[in-house]
Amino acid sequence: LYLFQSSDFLFKFLVIGNAGTGKSCLLHQFIEKKFKDDSNHTIGVEFGSKIINVGGKYVKLQIWDTAGQERFRSVTRSYYRGAAGALLVYDITSRETYNALTNWLTDARMLASQNIVIILCGNKKDLDADREVTFLEASRFAQENELMFLETSALTGENVEEAFVQCARKILNKIESGELDPERMGSGIQYGDAALRQLRSPRRAQAESAQECGC
Amino acid sequence: SLMKTGSKPPTTPVKLKKVSTFQEFESNTSDAWDLGDDDDELLAIAAENLNTEVVMETAHKVIQNHSKLQEQHKLQEEQLQEEKQVESSELSSVAYGDNRLVKSVSEGHTSSSSDNASENSSMQRSQSLPQTSTPPLVSGIADHSTSITSALTEREASRLDKFKQLLAGPNTNLAVLLVRQSNIFFFFNLIVFQGYLPANVDRRESTLQRKRKEYFAFVEQYYDSRNDESHQDTYRQIHIDIPRMSPEVLRLQPKVTEIFERILFIWAIRHPASGYVQGINDLVTPFFVVFICEYMEDDEVENFDVSSLPEEVLQNIEADSYWCMSKLLDGIQDNYTFAQPGIQKKVKMLEELVRRIDEQVHRHLDEHEVKYLQFAFRWMNNLLMREVPLRCTIRLWDTYQ
Repeated sequence: LYLFQSSDFLFKFLVIGNAGTGKSCLLHQFIEKKFKDDSNHTIGVEFGSKIINVGGKYVKLQIWDTAGQERFRSVTRSYYRGAAGALLVYDITSRETYNALTNWLTDARMLASQNIVIILCGNKKDLDADREVTFLEASRFAQENELMFLETSALTGENVEEAFVQCARKILNKIESGELDPERMGSGIQYGDAALRQLRSPRRAQAESAQECGC
Repeated sequence: SLMKTGSKPPTTPVKLKKVSTFQEFESNTSDAWDLGDDDDELLAIAAENLNTEVVMETAHKVIQNHSKLQEQHKLQEEQLQEEKQVESSELSSVAYGDNRLVKSVSEGHTSSSSDNASENSSMQRSQSLPQTSTPPLVSGIADHSTSITSALTEREASRLDKFKQLLAGPNTNLAVLLVRQSNIFFFFNLIVFQGYLPANVDRRESTLQRKRKEYFAFVEQYYDSRNDESHQDTYRQIHIDIPRMSPEVLRLQPKVTEIFERILFIWAIRHPASGYVQGINDLVTPFFVVFICEYMEDDEVENFDVSSLPEEVLQNIEADSYWCMSKLLDGIQDNYTFAQPGIQKKVKMLEELVRRIDEQVHRHLDEHEVKYLQFAFRWMNNLLMREVPLRCTIRLWDTYQ
């Protein structure tokens, strides 16, 4: 949509959670507006990015979609550093994936940043008949751990965009209130090219963007 | 072996000199692809160890085979003219390891991630693999070569004959050496000779039978436990992952799913230090495809029904695939144990290699804070199965294994 739109901010986002909860499908639905039914399991990390408009500001999300299997944990941990936001995903039809949330949360807070903004996503909302985790239960967990919470469906697209946007909005609010400082190392936030351009002379900015196109 | 060689020189930076050293190295090693007549020497050495009777007998066979082939070749030539041009240029781009490799790789890469048609085409490309109706492994080798020969030059064909000669001999070590230099798909044979099967020809058939029995004894012993509490996580993960593999032609067939689940589960149970790790499922595919290709006709590739094969054939393929995969994994187990030290090490080696031979790329990545582990992890974890078309992966495994 905003293909040539320049952005005011760049946020690094993580998508984390157990294997098979639908992390890559959430990302695909968010970026392509389609459900990917022949999705491969993720090895290591895969990337996606999208520019969204949040309250008049253009924010570029650089999303790191991580592998969920336990064996990859030691490697995926190395991707956490400097993330500003995260989608913590479980599968509402699998209690096992819900029970693992505490571990994921500890990892994220410890390795990314204390201030990381996390939204809990109970994915596969469309499979309500097979539900093993109730909305209320997960909602309570989210409250206790200061997480935002949504139930999502990568299949239908329900609440997928909302999850990313809500997380980005909260980060923006924190920047505006001064609670988050984009200048701080490892904040996971950078000024986008639009913001940078205002700081520089027009000629230099032009040269800069021409160079970027060449890459 | 490229990587090994790359890590040997001292790490003190002597920039200009280093570059020229690598270029020298590069130009030297490319000779391996364009063989001189060195293998005549090897053959001579080998001949000393060969029993004269065997030599005469196989030489006779080779000559017969060769003249038969040339007749066939002439007949087919007219019809195949167009097709062959495509095929041989494709074969050469991958098989000869020159600059064209890069081209075909990048083509494959863009298409492989996009749609089903490309999955099919990568299967189709693997058609330059052998296809015959003889049982695999034992008698298969000679026939592999025959079916490939249509795309070979005369010189290569004669090289092939030499290879066959060596193969029929009592000791195959030199044959392996020759295969390594050969421009032909001998990938799985290579694996086979490196340990699955004994070098001694007399014991080969009996070993094969014994190994197959052994595998199915494992199946009997362990497979029922897949739903036990201690193993159900492993089985569930395998079960979820198989429908998420490529190529699609294969993964959608229940028979194939069944075979892969058994192979992977048995392997995981017998290797508790690593267990099943995502990506290992991709490592069965090349073996399975190479074995299956022996039973395919040209026009069957896109819709080959694996369940149409006799049960016994399928069982043999399953057992052989299991052992070949096991053999491969034996050498890289630390890729899949805790913290995956094998992969970490290989990614480091890659980084070191790029730093040394393409400093510009290395600096570019560094400036943009791109870590090698972020993009190269999967290359190592799945042995390139996700990065290039299957046919190319098989060819690369052949070289670097």
